[in-house]
Amino acid sequence: MSEAVDTANDYELDLGWMDRTGPWNTQASQGKNGLTLADIQIGEYGDPPVESDNQTGRPRGAASRDSTYRIGAYAVRSKSEIWLDNASFLYEEALQRQWSSATDVPWHTIEPLPDDVEQAECQLATFLTEVEFVAGDVPARWVSLTTPDFLEPRQVLLAQVMDESRHMDVFRKRALANGGGLMQATGATSGFVGSIDLSRDFTEMSSRLHVSGEGAVLTLFRMGELMAQNEAEKVIYRLCAQDEARHVAFGVMHMRYMSEAAPERREEIHCYLDEAEGGLIGAANPVGQLTPTSESMAIILGGGKENFDDGMNKIIAIRQRQLREYKKRVVSAGFGDRFESGRSKVDEMIERAAA
Amino acid sequence: MSESSAKESPAEKAEAPKFQPKYNWMNKTRSWGMRALPGKAGLKLGDLNMGIYGEIPMHWDDQSRNPRGAVPRRGMPPVGYAIRDKGGLWADCAADLYEEAIQRRWAPATDVPWDSIEPLPDDVEHAVCQVCTELTQYANVDIETITGWQHQMSYGYHEVKQYLATATFDAARHYECFRKRALVNGGGLGLEGPGQVNRMILESRGGWTEAVVYLFLVRGVFTMTLYRYLGRYAHNDAERFIYGHALADKARHVTYALDHLKFALAHVEDQQLVTATLLAIGDNGLARDLRDPVLKEALAIIFGGGIDGARQQGMEVYHALMRDYVDTHLAYCRWLDIPRNPAALPPPLNEYVDAPADV
Ligand SMILES: [Fe+2]
Ligand SMILES: [Fe+2]
Repeated sequence: MSEAVDTANDYELDLGWMDRTGPWNTQASQGKNGLTLADIQIGEYGDPPVESDNQTGRPRGAASRDSTYRIGAYAVRSKSEIWLDNASFLYEEALQRQWSSATDVPWHTIEPLPDDVEQAECQLATFLTEVEFVAGDVPARWVSLTTPDFLEPRQVLLAQVMDESRHMDVFRKRALANGGGLMQATGATSGFVGSIDLSRDFTEMSSRLHVSGEGAVLTLFRMGELMAQNEAEKVIYRLCAQDEARHVAFGVMHMRYMSEAAPERREEIHCYLDEAEGGLIGAANPVGQLTPTSESMAIILGGGKENFDDGMNKIIAIRQRQLREYKKRVVSAGFGDRFESGRSKVDEMIERAAA
Repeated sequence: MSESSAKESPAEKAEAPKFQPKYNWMNKTRSWGMRALPGKAGLKLGDLNMGIYGEIPMHWDDQSRNPRGAVPRRGMPPVGYAIRDKGGLWADCAADLYEEAIQRRWAPATDVPWDSIEPLPDDVEHAVCQVCTELTQYANVDIETITGWQHQMSYGYHEVKQYLATATFDAARHYECFRKRALVNGGGLGLEGPGQVNRMILESRGGWTEAVVYLFLVRGVFTMTLYRYLGRYAHNDAERFIYGHALADKARHVTYALDHLKFALAHVEDQQLVTATLLAIGDNGLARDLRDPVLKEALAIIFGGGIDGARQQGMEVYHALMRDYVDTHLAYCRWLDIPRNPAALPPPLNEYVDAPADV
């Protein structure tokens, strides 16, 4: 398109860049949910490469410059390592469902509680604050390592970092809002949950964080009606569950994609799941072993120390539900064969929990 | 807090209990009786900073995920944080900026009036798409840089980590909406940017404060100036909305940066001169990017209403924008008390020193 420059004017223009564009005449149109990320996945712009050679950080579909430095140093460059089919949907949903822990939680509904229950609430809140730290830091680090050619999953992970930041803050708020305070850190994130930090591969991390870790937390938050002492807590659990459902969906959908696109990695993924299942009812799970967190959960669910056994019975029901939901997610992700072959011990765990 | 539960253990009940709780976690707190009350803007993060929970030490040794103010658990393997000094990240305004970012959230898909975009002359659409391509890359560098540092920041300073989660989410929105704008009106993405400043920002290995200098005091102020002018020359309500909201987001990023740098300069030895040196290096990177004609010409076309208008009026507005940027950047440096020598700025930056912006 460069046209002859009119030298009578003050500034000469090169305009060579006008001929160097990505595919032109692109006309995305919005649907009933506005102009979504899915709406702009059109033509070549919607087509992420199977292997990305983008090391300059250029937006997918833009024209490249030969002179641009290779500043990307991206570790995640294979589509199968991070892709999932519904990332655009999850991202847009995250944007629509953002909430504020300052103004959307009816804090005034919190009334003084018996001391044992308040202590239990504060112990649980201390634990959840720790856990939410991990779920924010780790995805953030992986975003920095992922080529922008896979922008859709990256956007979902960025929304997750935001969500987790809000979760961390809402549980800290709960601990300090009702005459209590923070209790002792559980250190749980240095054990099973902490091993999320150790992952050297995105899918490995996602299987631990999204599928098993956050899956367990999601089941818990969905029990919010049982746990809540007031409307504020009900709202907290409901809104957090909504967010966690997206994070879990990310993991399940990614695992499914990985399984189909890179079947040669299935055995490796099974190994990650073996490890994850070992920790499913471990100390990092508030309804796992008898730990400070599960004791506090039992007080909350029973309504006081005097009903500890009642509370524990509810915990066991939640634990069973956690395990059943975990199994369902793994089946949905395409790894149901581990239950049929007897490789997984989850069915036994469900039975043991019942006994 | 009531007495220890050991005395009233369920074991005292007549019926043998099914479970044997230890309750050894009870009463373990550093400070009890806290009651943060919501104000008229709700219960804000900053409202929690009462008593020991609001004590933010200059150094944070704990490398576990112990929440600030909780009783630490001994024997926890360190997670490994590079940033454990308050001087390396702190800004008093972080908690407020965090809540403000949440209150001012927007969704490009549904909040931007995309319907207001009408076909533009081909040269103008090319220019808009080129600018959007480069702004997408700027947002990309925001994303990659901040996410690369977040996990290295220790938990004693959680307000900053939380604010930065909103900053990367802002950047995600910017990334998305500039891409959407480029693909919605018969155009497409343009040519990738030259990337000298991008490299400089991503390569800030000297610490988060160094990244803040490049990402916000150099690139951030430049981006803010671009948003301001682009908003003024927007072609439709959609563009006006995008630039207006992106500007408000970016203003928070720069506010955090100024507050942090003020703190770092006051508390970290030699930070003042280090920052001056970083900026002198940064000027060269920015100057090299600016000598590339692509962004400049695209902006001039937008400001001049087409190629013809670009050559005169458009370029004049571009120069006004650059004077504005240099003015603002140097004013912030003066406010921070960072020694700068405007006369030593490399070309073309030196052409914009001390000339009032009058367009
Ligand atoms: Fe969470
Ligand atoms: Fe989560």
